[in-house]
Amino acid sequence: MNIQLRPAQLEVTAYRSGKMGVLAVPGSGKTLTLAYLAAELLTHTTLQRGQEILIVTLVNSAVDVFTQRIRALLEQRGLLPLNFRVRTLHGLAHDILRERPEVVGLDERFVILDEAECNRILESAVKSWLHQHGDQLLDYLDEALTPAEMRKIQRKDLPELVQEIASAFIRFAKDHRMPPGQLRTKLDQLPFPLPLLEMGASIYADYQRSLTYRGAVDFDDLVRLAYDALQWDTQLLERLRQRWPYILEDEAQDSSWTQEQILRVLVGESGNWVRVGDPNQAIYETFTTANPKYLRHFVHEAGVIQRHLPNSGRSTLSIMELANQLVRWTMTQHPIQAVRDGLQGPPFITPVPADDPHPNPPDDPAQIHLHPKKQTVEEEIKTIVHSLKRWLPAHPDWTVAVLAPTHDLAIKVVEALKKENLPFEDSLLRSSASTRRTAQRLRDILQALADPLSANKLATAYVAWRLEDYEDPLLRSQVISDKTLLQRCAQVETYLYPTYAEDWLAEICPPQGEESPAIPLAQQETYYRLARFRQQMHRWLDAILLPIDQLVLTLQGDLFAEPAELALSHKLALMLRQASDANPQWRLHNLAQELAVIAENERRFLGFSRDDNGFDPQAYAGRVVVCTAHKAKGLEWDRVYLISVNNYDYPSGAPYDTYKPERWFVRGRLNLQAEALAQFEWLIAPNETAFPQEGQATLQARLDYVRERLRLLYVGITRARRELVITSNTGRRGDKQPALAFVVLSEYWKKVHAQPAT
Amino acid sequence: MLTLTPQQLEMVQRPIGEHCFLEGKAGCGKTTTAVERLLFLMENGVPAHQILIYVPQRTLAQPYRQALAVPGVMAGGAVNILTLGGLARRTIETFWPLVVEQAGFGQPDEWPVFLTLETAQYFMAKLVEPLLAQGFFASVNVHPNRLYSQILDNLNKAALVGFPHTEIGERLKSAWSGSAGQLSIYDDAQTCANLFRSFCLEHNLLDFSLQVEVFVRYLWQNPLVQETLQQQYRHLIADNIEEDAPVSHDLLRQWLPAFESAWLIYDHGGGYRVFLGADPLSAYALKSACEVQVTFETSFVTDACLQRLEQTLLWTFGQPPPPPAAEAPAPPVIPLFERFYPQMLERVADEVTRCIQEDGIPPSEIVLLAPYLTDALRFSLSNLLEKRQIPLRSHRPSRALREEAVIRCLLTLAALAYPQYLPPKSFQDFDLMTALLQAIDDLDAVRACLLTNIVSRKNDGLPSLSSFEQIQADVQERLTYRVGERYERLRRWLEEARAAEPEELEIFFVRLFDEILSQPGYGFYHNERAAELTANLAESARKFRLAFRESMNVSLEERNREYLRMVQEGLIAAQYLRSWQAEQEDTVLISPAYTFLLSNRPVQVQFWLDIGSSGWYERLFQPLTQPYVLSRRWQAGRQWTADDEAQVAEQNLQRITLGLVRRCRQRIYLGYSEYSAGGYEQRGELLRVLQDSLEGFVQAI
Repeated sequence: MNIQLRPAQLEVTAYRSGKMGVLAVPGSGKTLTLAYLAAELLTHTTLQRGQEILIVTLVNSAVDVFTQRIRALLEQRGLLPLNFRVRTLHGLAHDILRERPEVVGLDERFVILDEAECNRILESAVKSWLHQHGDQLLDYLDEALTPAEMRKIQRKDLPELVQEIASAFIRFAKDHRMPPGQLRTKLDQLPFPLPLLEMGASIYADYQRSLTYRGAVDFDDLVRLAYDALQWDTQLLERLRQRWPYILEDEAQDSSWTQEQILRVLVGESGNWVRVGDPNQAIYETFTTANPKYLRHFVHEAGVIQRHLPNSGRSTLSIMELANQLVRWTMTQHPIQAVRDGLQGPPFITPVPADDPHPNPPDDPAQIHLHPKKQTVEEEIKTIVHSLKRWLPAHPDWTVAVLAPTHDLAIKVVEALKKENLPFEDSLLRSSASTRRTAQRLRDILQALADPLSANKLATAYVAWRLEDYEDPLLRSQVISDKTLLQRCAQVETYLYPTYAEDWLAEICPPQGEESPAIPLAQQETYYRLARFRQQMHRWLDAILLPIDQLVLTLQGDLFAEPAELALSHKLALMLRQASDANPQWRLHNLAQELAVIAENERRFLGFSRDDNGFDPQAYAGRVVVCTAHKAKGLEWDRVYLISVNNYDYPSGAPYDTYKPERWFVRGRLNLQAEALAQFEWLIAPNETAFPQEGQATLQARLDYVRERLRLLYVGITRARRELVITSNTGRRGDKQPALAFVVLSEYWKKVHAQPAT
Repeated sequence: MLTLTPQQLEMVQRPIGEHCFLEGKAGCGKTTTAVERLLFLMENGVPAHQILIYVPQRTLAQPYRQALAVPGVMAGGAVNILTLGGLARRTIETFWPLVVEQAGFGQPDEWPVFLTLETAQYFMAKLVEPLLAQGFFASVNVHPNRLYSQILDNLNKAALVGFPHTEIGERLKSAWSGSAGQLSIYDDAQTCANLFRSFCLEHNLLDFSLQVEVFVRYLWQNPLVQETLQQQYRHLIADNIEEDAPVSHDLLRQWLPAFESAWLIYDHGGGYRVFLGADPLSAYALKSACEVQVTFETSFVTDACLQRLEQTLLWTFGQPPPPPAAEAPAPPVIPLFERFYPQMLERVADEVTRCIQEDGIPPSEIVLLAPYLTDALRFSLSNLLEKRQIPLRSHRPSRALREEAVIRCLLTLAALAYPQYLPPKSFQDFDLMTALLQAIDDLDAVRACLLTNIVSRKNDGLPSLSSFEQIQADVQERLTYRVGERYERLRRWLEEARAAEPEELEIFFVRLFDEILSQPGYGFYHNERAAELTANLAESARKFRLAFRESMNVSLEERNREYLRMVQEGLIAAQYLRSWQAEQEDTVLISPAYTFLLSNRPVQVQFWLDIGSSGWYERLFQPLTQPYVLSRRWQAGRQWTADDEAQVAEQNLQRITLGLVRRCRQRIYLGYSEYSAGGYEQRGELLRVLQDSLEGFVQAI
């Protein structure tokens, strides 16, 4: 690995101590620069025994990428790859809590529940709240609702909405480190009732009780409790400061207040802290309590060295120009003054210097296609599929992605590609394909074991058992024919456990015997294959008496040989065991269902394959990668389709825009989540803020949403290396129009370049 | 007699009548010598029943038990092998009337009931559950079962260290350095401890803590009792005193002058039971009470190479570096480093096989050690070794009874006989299917499923079974008539039990086993494991029953329901000490590291699994209790800080690494995977220490 850093990068890697804030642009090599800086520090500073350089990043996949990069750099310098630790913030919080769990009321066996289990707990808390107090929300529903609409809403939409509000509420409470008991006391002191807060507090208390009963914490608790531990235990803090003399933080724009505080406390007044991020790419505000303002404030703090990484070799000049124009327009011309800070520069994106070994791709303004025309969702997808159909054969070695604002729309695109037999890759939407494949095999077999009477499930399990053969074009038909045979077995016991009187297998393909007439070879082979499967099923059916982890480990031994598969199935075994402990009423079919959720792509599960440890678009050249614009962060493709850029998915704050968080059935289209959180904020500091008037928070939330969506558009545009296509649609009800920013950009483009017809 | 060194032989043959303190590192032959001394005493006319072998826990007496088991050795009565708890209980049983009123028990005319860990937990749960609903322990995140055990643990600590149980809360509070908001949990813990103690006194119930307190504070202070004990036991061999608690040491100190002869044996570097109250320093203070003091220096276990490893380890922990070696020995340590956890297990299995097949090491001389022994780990390794035809046995920690399929089968059948005990809608057909599968011989899973689908009924939510005769003829044929006949007999038996008056569960389980399940044609016929587990279940139900006094006014129905609920909730553990010692010996052992250290048995080859884990040195973190703060050594008013924590981790690391190295004769394999079983990157301190000391091993030549 021969690395030639650019001048701006060299300025960053020359750092040796103090606090430094680095604002970077997309494609400027943040990760590489930070990894290089870590290697520099490990080479040029003397660490004491037990000291490490701590690198904190956002997601698990980045941990592996960082680790490998730093290792390679150190090995290149002839150094042992030691004395550094790469962690996500949650991983770091876990490390801190493990030091002294009892300081924050945990014992050594504390369990971290995954998202699915937390959602289940929350769902049941919401259900029971609605059951008891559901009528308290009636006041918030639109009076004009018909009885039929009302029934539907109470059955489906309302529980979903309450769960969303409760989830945000709990996260907010934890970010502000307010336990349910304290919240209750504050509420009891109020002279007037606040129904939304009452609802949130009650569900929060119930949710937290359930966690306590399991001796468990959720991810937000990890962060909150780690911060508490550092606050309360000064010696622990001192020891950790000693252990981590340098903290390097990547993706700092996505830190929440508590997350930033944890690092701030760990660094201390005179410590060494490097924060790298791009506030223009902060796109997690809606789901988390993150906010890019924290990083912006940091770089302007006294004593903080400010650096920029403005050079990017990723895209053509045209694409960079378009992205920069979006920033400039937002800063100076956005019709709503308040959101003009949504995107900011400098730094603006600048091409790499002329002598750079990785120059920008040659410019081709003709490959910027901006089509702000009115079309239905179906028409938009059709247009894109049609375009890809022409484009793919001409660019077999290029990479391409379709980026949708929502998961559902991305799935629709996948379906359309499937229909047209176009090659696609959807693992960024959920678990990686190989993770799914492993989960699916286990699921198919567990389902057969949970219901041994079913011939269909047995046949499916047979395919799972012979999956390698099924995937081999030469053997596939054989597997299918065996499967079909098994499906026809009317009484499964006559195959799996035959008696003298009835032996299904012997009847359909009798084995070669001394006295029987010659049996065709193919039939004999079928017999032996199915007899072997029968033996295998005997072994597995014997194992259904074992606890679930041991049952899965039994299957593991018989099915998998690849290290990554073995590791994944081991992890799945432990996960199922945890699920079974948390839900003692669950039996084999529920546990098989749990695997199905992973196998069928409804929940992301981190496996061990290459894609789980960092997606590499280059590996999918010639195939269409479909994912959400959010998941595309950090990645790049030669050609990018940015779809559904309308005033619903990318609103601009105009009076005719509509907003996802504002539900049609809620009175005055209030954003109840925002209203609840605003009241909560007031409750925490009643003297500093005025009591929020109803509707005020809804309007404020719109502005936040507009800002975030401008940044999402910016992220989408900057994923493209050479070619960019942006399209829009009229939404589900046909009343949406192209987003204002999109219209403005396309007019700008028309003015600057004469756009050829496509 | 074994071949002993002159020093050992001299020790064994010392005149009877001395009080002797024998110390040394693990592996220097202390226990071997003491065992020979025991035999020497008996050969020289000391009656066996006058000898007391006193150990901190039963497993540590294993070498003595083995020596005494040799035919012909035990003549003239039995040697007494006791722990503090055993001694306390035996004495209380004998002298109960002397102490019942003095100790404040509420029912002077009744005998005491000794609580097991489970029954103590049960009563604790009963008392604390209502308080939890009132907001007790709101700021801790711990499963209630573990809360109960921590409160009991505090009571035990108070008894073993010798301070009044009413001081628990204050002691913990004064050492607390975290947020003041957390302090209330210690008040809560104190309230619960007080409540439990009053309840026990009121009903003559003795949990472990009360047994020790009654013995130490009242019975031992009674001249009549003291005299009786002093006359009964004339010779003492107290081994591994470093693993015992301070009140045990107090007792020995007071008792010592009365013994005709006494040996106290102390292991340097021990103290593995600190979390159970062990106090090596108070043990060492007994040295001055003995007129003969001997130290064994030379290890019989480790060779020069392992001794060098021990020295470099000590050097890593801050001791002087080892002297330069003349030649370059290869380190007796073999790393097995892999990326993923299952790969590491596979490597371990391969190396175990190689050790046995190529190096001719007997399986019993190989031990696989892990910081925690999970079922998944044990199961995976046992599968891998089974494929290589290598038998594996385990010292596994206790686990919940309901984990066993046999127990689940019995519980399901009990639910059919007594559906009224079940929580509503809790009966599941999958449980019935697996119960029938186990109960009826020759019934396969497919037919068990078919049978279940047909015969399982729910009347008013209560489960019941319909008869085989009601099934259509063609389906009967599918199920086979033989199965039908067996099913029918089982069903009728359950029906009769259901119609009759409810009986004690232990009787129900035993009858079900005797009359049906152990008969030919049924699943537990000639099935030793099932018999053993049924016996465990019945025994645990019996102990549960015995814990209730009439004065508590609990009906049989209610008790049965409570018992089944406890088993379902996992509160009842299958921790009946089975005779693992008697199991086939020529097998590879897998064990948690601490359990192995406390079994006093060196081996040729050790495998340390998962050296990246922090479980090797982290103490047990429990928010309601703290072994160091509740120890005798803790200065009143001092705060427990992160530095103390770091120091303890370092001490543990030192204790465990040295302890293991000293119990190894040949070599150590280090199993490491970059990612743990759960997929997390692992960087424990043990890894660093080993890295440093291996560098030292090579450099210091």
